[in-house]
Amino acid sequence: MGRTAPTYRQALEERMKRWDEFARLLTTPEERAAFEIVRTGARRYAAQATYVGSPDLLESILLSVLTDLAARLHAVPATRDSRR
Amino acid sequence: MVSALPAGPDGWLLDITESGDGRSVVLWEKSRRDGRVRRTALEYRPPFWVTGPRAELVRLAGRLGSHSEVAAVALGSGRPSLFDRRPRPVLSVTPATNPGRRALARTVDALGGYTTFTLYDVDLSPPQLYHLAHGLYPFAPVAGTGTRLTATEPAETIDYVPPPLRLARLEVRLLGERRGRIPPPDGRIGAVRLGEATLEGPEEDLLRALVDELARSDPDVLLTQGGDSFDLPWLYRRAAACGLGPGEFALGRERVGFGPARRASTFESYGRVLHRSAFFPTPGRFHIDRENSFLYDDAEIAGLVDAARLSRLSLQTVVRQSPGTCFTAMEMAHALALGVHVPWKKNRPEGFRRADRLVAADRGGTIFLPPVGVHDRVEEFDFASLYPHIMVRKNLSAETLECRCCPQSPIRAPGLGYRSCLGRVGLIPRTLAPLLARRLAYKAALKRPGLAAEEAARLRRRVKMLKWILVTAFGYQGYRNARFGRIECHEAINAYARELIAALVPEAERAGYAVLHGIVDSLWLRPQDPDRIPDPEAFAARMSARFDLPLGYEGRYRWIVFLPAVTHGLGVPNRYYGYYTHGEFKLRGIGGRRHDTTGLVRRFESEILSLLRTATNAAEVRALLPRLLARADLIAARVRAGDWPVEELLVSHRIGQPPGAFVTFTDSVAALRQLDEAGSERGAGEVVRFVLLERASRSFRHRVRVAELLDGSERYDRDAYLELLARDAETLLAPLGVDRASLLERWGVAASPERAPYRSPERAAQSELPVGSGG
Repeated sequence: MGRTAPTYRQALEERMKRWDEFARLLTTPEERAAFEIVRTGARRYAAQATYVGSPDLLESILLSVLTDLAARLHAVPATRDSRR
Repeated sequence: MVSALPAGPDGWLLDITESGDGRSVVLWEKSRRDGRVRRTALEYRPPFWVTGPRAELVRLAGRLGSHSEVAAVALGSGRPSLFDRRPRPVLSVTPATNPGRRALARTVDALGGYTTFTLYDVDLSPPQLYHLAHGLYPFAPVAGTGTRLTATEPAETIDYVPPPLRLARLEVRLLGERRGRIPPPDGRIGAVRLGEATLEGPEEDLLRALVDELARSDPDVLLTQGGDSFDLPWLYRRAAACGLGPGEFALGRERVGFGPARRASTFESYGRVLHRSAFFPTPGRFHIDRENSFLYDDAEIAGLVDAARLSRLSLQTVVRQSPGTCFTAMEMAHALALGVHVPWKKNRPEGFRRADRLVAADRGGTIFLPPVGVHDRVEEFDFASLYPHIMVRKNLSAETLECRCCPQSPIRAPGLGYRSCLGRVGLIPRTLAPLLARRLAYKAALKRPGLAAEEAARLRRRVKMLKWILVTAFGYQGYRNARFGRIECHEAINAYARELIAALVPEAERAGYAVLHGIVDSLWLRPQDPDRIPDPEAFAARMSARFDLPLGYEGRYRWIVFLPAVTHGLGVPNRYYGYYTHGEFKLRGIGGRRHDTTGLVRRFESEILSLLRTATNAAEVRALLPRLLARADLIAARVRAGDWPVEELLVSHRIGQPPGAFVTFTDSVAALRQLDEAGSERGAGEVVRFVLLERASRSFRHRVRVAELLDGSERYDRDAYLELLARDAETLLAPLGVDRASLLERWGVAASPERAPYRSPERAAQSELPVGSGG
């Protein structure tokens, strides 16, 4: 089945291959764990990003990562309080 | 004196086939009085149509007039295309012989430099056209004879009496051979089973006895398991070897040559390479090969008869083709009924578009990522035939989208703006609406109290058949070869479906649900407040009315497990299993559902599921974990002991490329080499089945053993199967904290040794590989 444009999920995975290079030079376990959170966040809202159909891939990825992070912050009030 | 029959048709038209003389079609009619089948040959050479500039058509008519392959040409006018609003000049060309039809069409196309002319109706077969031109269809109840044969009810009739068909199983056994083995090239036939009769004896006598038995019991349908690839070719091959000719040996109701009408082929469908066996004609009699039929298993005869009636395709064709072919044929039937003809080559290329528009338009349905884990109190809702319903409701068809007549149409695809015509009903909705009505009518009939079991089974098969055809109707909108498809339709349908799910999310929340998961046309919802559970049937009814699309309530889950991807741990949309309160499992994407799963994995899954059957909520599922692990240990212990039956360890693999094209030495390559050595060739798209003997071995003889060569003495690779088992256990139970590595450690399996790649310095050690046969 030929399709001209890659799906958002395909484009995302393609872009994330580049991120692997970024991750290779992270030096502490904490940084690597943090990077995994970002990676998961990028994938979490694929349905919503597909629905928007933005030509700007990075916009969709950023929205997904930020929403994921905001949701995590919201779910852990203790952490949020301690940073105030 | 003939006994009086109750009122009704004289008989049934079973099939129309092409005659060997190339100028006629043969009508096969089954008499209601005595069940005999009568053959009537009628001269019939249908024309095809050519459009183009008038001057060019006149010139073409002049050139074709003296052509030996042409019987007649006539210039007239008409509106052959679905997009024609005004009549234009049309040349009808009648080929001298029916088999010469395509060659002549290619000549015409070439004469026009492949651009001047548009050709219509070229690849409709004469039987198909005869049906359509005479108001007939396969299995029609008929009255009258010859050219005045008429159907006594329309093809679309929902409540019809199918003709009584005589079915007979046909099975060939070779002398001294078991089925499933590789037959020796000169293997002689030792026995043939036909229906209740088993014929044995010297080969030539046996073949003659088979012809006599066919004449005596006169079955309408021959049912085989692998007949296209084995039984039929072998019968013809041995008949020829015994010196019998078509005059003495025929399996159909007419004498034909012993060769195949279509050779075996390899093709690709939905990203998979598939193989289709050759096809040997048996005119007047249907041959259904269960192994060579996508549709037979799901729809059986009742569904196939329904599909043949609606598509005007012979049962013989329906059974060997995809549901998409049926749908296309139904479109063609509706087109011809509208006076429109079927373009030979699709001449509607996709228009150029800006890249951002393309990104915006070319999107599928909405697919959420489900929350990984065990959940309970989950309700499932599905839209029945959502995409076909959208096509009908929104009048989506190639010729009704962005029409010139309705610039103000309010029916617009959300986000894309494609308009739908208000003035006329499109070909696709015209084709789909009766199918949807039919499916609903069958489903309603199924709910009638006191329905006989046999009738219920028949209706269920028709429902399944229709389901498959309706599913393909959508896919074919975007398929490059679909004659009436158009990519913008495909996009518009998705746009409407996405909008629908987006609108449903707030509606569900307002009704008191939280959205857990959704895939295109299905939603999994959970009550926000466990003490206030909304009425699911009322919600479904309200939403159906609100969106004018049928939302159905599938049921409530006692528990449902959404499974994670091994790669990133987030949920996979279509991988889950759950148990409904009405005592039924729903399984998606787990091992047991896959065709290539070993019996071992299937057995493991069914044992795990039967343990889980007792759980009534998510907490009880989690509490079962120790028992589930104990069961896994038990199975692992048996596998490790080495006495698991090898038939349950067969791995199936569909070959994705020609055997010579493999560059790495995989299990499948080893299996292919073994088969090759034993004299059995496999092509791309065919399946090989084998047991793993020594995965690390680089010898094709020691690495695996193919199913055809198993003798029961094999010692399988225990670690390899423990690894398969651990992988499946992880798939099923990961949400409960089970992972493969710790299972393997628990079962005492060492980490799998690194295998040197095939192209390695150790290549010299691969002495057993034949040099030069691919790889």
